[in-house]
Amino acid sequence: MNDLTDMKQEEAEDTEEGMSRRKFLGVAGAAVGAITVAQITALPLLGKNQAGHGSHGLHKWGMVIDLNTCIGCNYCTYACQAVNNVPDDMQYNNVTTEQTMNGDEYFLARPCLHCENAPCVQVCPVGATFMRDDGIVTMDYDLCIGCRYCEVACPYDARVFNWKENTMTAGSNPNVPNFGYPEVEPRPRGVVEKCTFCEHRIDSGLERGLMPGVDEAATPACVVVCPTNARVFGDLNNPDSPSSQALASHKTPIVLRPELSTQPKVYYIPPADEKEEV
Amino acid sequence: MQQEIHVPKLKLGKRKIDLFPIWIALLFVGLVAGAMGAYQVLTHGLTVTGLSNQVPWGLWIAVDISSIALGGGAFVLGVIVYILKIKRYENIGKLAVLIGFLGYSTAGLVLLFDLGQPLRFWHPVVFWQVHSLLWEITMCVVLYLTVLGLELFPTVTDHAFFQRFPFIPKIAHSIHRFGPVLAVVGLTLSLLHQASLGATYGVLAGRGMLFSATVPVLFVFSAVGGGLSLLFLLSALVFRTMRPGLVSDKVMRELARMAGGMMLLYLYLLLWDWAINFYYSFDAQSSLQLELLKSVSPYLWSFWIGQVLFGALIPGAILLSYRKGGNLRLRLLAAAFAAASVVIMRWNYNFAGSMAYIHYAPFVEQVKLATYSPTWQEYAVATGVVSYWLLGFSLAVRYLPFKSPEHH
Repeated sequence: MNDLTDMKQEEAEDTEEGMSRRKFLGVAGAAVGAITVAQITALPLLGKNQAGHGSHGLHKWGMVIDLNTCIGCNYCTYACQAVNNVPDDMQYNNVTTEQTMNGDEYFLARPCLHCENAPCVQVCPVGATFMRDDGIVTMDYDLCIGCRYCEVACPYDARVFNWKENTMTAGSNPNVPNFGYPEVEPRPRGVVEKCTFCEHRIDSGLERGLMPGVDEAATPACVVVCPTNARVFGDLNNPDSPSSQALASHKTPIVLRPELSTQPKVYYIPPADEKEEV
Repeated sequence: MQQEIHVPKLKLGKRKIDLFPIWIALLFVGLVAGAMGAYQVLTHGLTVTGLSNQVPWGLWIAVDISSIALGGGAFVLGVIVYILKIKRYENIGKLAVLIGFLGYSTAGLVLLFDLGQPLRFWHPVVFWQVHSLLWEITMCVVLYLTVLGLELFPTVTDHAFFQRFPFIPKIAHSIHRFGPVLAVVGLTLSLLHQASLGATYGVLAGRGMLFSATVPVLFVFSAVGGGLSLLFLLSALVFRTMRPGLVSDKVMRELARMAGGMMLLYLYLLLWDWAINFYYSFDAQSSLQLELLKSVSPYLWSFWIGQVLFGALIPGAILLSYRKGGNLRLRLLAAAFAAASVVIMRWNYNFAGSMAYIHYAPFVEQVKLATYSPTWQEYAVATGVVSYWLLGFSLAVRYLPFKSPEHH
């Protein structure tokens, strides 16, 4: 008889313990679930396009570079380094000498192409690289952890890592003042940097009623400095903008590595002999 | 209660020398070297490495993904012990958990130095970017390291030291009751991030020969095969030599056969992956990449000999054929080759796409060569984290019982 009551008591205790454990698991599970739901619902509220699938804003900034007119002077690179406070051994913009199928040499200037389908935006683990509503692919340097996955993912070699401390002052920057004055804060060591289409110029220009691509103060430094006007910039949503006009007036504008479907917003007018072949 | 541990000793004539203190001293030298490299990296930044914008991931990432791959035995044994409830694997499962924990913590440690902003290592946990494979891997690895820590806790508290504080082993073994839950969570997390580590490279459309949908599956299968091979190899030392009787020969043979089967399965998938990339495909850029890699690196050698022939095919067949009365030493050698081949495979994936990279210039297809040679700081940090792995393993194997108290 005694044994039986003992067993019953034990059973009761067991169930009680079981209940409390179940309760604990329930509470813990609910907490984790709540945090997850909160995080996922908060994603669109962050106002950042982290998926990197296209721009949806009023403007869609784009650039057209005419490879027939580029003389390879590298002014675009220097102006970019001056304005964006980029040290001499780092380049957002790149000018290389390439060859056409016929073997003719031409200069290929390459800023960040601001892909509509940007691989670097998709791979960033913290959303530090994101796409603005106007299609500019830009960085939140406070979020970047410096994992460099964006560099691995970028098919255009357009991302540059800040390998060492930026100790440059306006005085020690070789491109200041010949190519402009620093307009952007230097970034800390250990983040990946990129061309922003000079977003600071576009934003402050629009606030002052200027039109990027038309008014120099609101246009990327590389476009303004170009001595042959090989680069034009403007709103691709606006058919009257310089970049839309340039695209409309040429038969065969191209983008780099179209097979990857990254849909760059920087277009190129191919060299004359390539056009004939097409 | 106490399991007797037979310490292997070097016989010099009549004297028997225990090399353990010398070995530990050696590992401390490695740790000091690592600390020196780490100091340089943390004070001067990643400029002290040989990395560049073209080869942003180097030696450390290769160590990182290799150590995670070789920790792959832990989740397999978790499933065998807690879900399939096969009791005879319980003790060997503890070793698998140890190897897993060491592998994952090594990976975390080396990543800390690889990040440009080490103090922001926690950012992915708070700032979610659910489209990124690297985000998913970070979350999985953080959670799985926690699971492994919980699973390892009882094994550590089985040490006689904790008998002075009986409540600690008691807490530890109460975790044991959640074993099946941990095993399911561990299985899910492991499959997710082992596959995603492959997909990290597989989604890189711009990197030509890395762009493949098979990579995630290859990474999972090779992690299981390589992880089990390493477990089998180390079990011979930990159980057969040092703790005879804890793990039966039958279990060892089964483990070897599992590892061998997995390696052959991985090889089968690998050959289809190769065929898709280089035989059925007419992608000029991938072939150009391969040509360039051949010209500057032993890539073909490391692929066909290191990964395929002496990595998966021969060791896989030898391990799979382990029957009663078979030659154990041959199988141990084969297991060492299999584990090494998984490391080679990870290194090939890490470097193939960035050493020979496809150039963006239009009209003429171009592949360019990047150069990368690790600096002494990189070797030092790598030596340091490998020493950490070996130190953790050596101390655990020397002092922990690896035996469930339920058995006595």
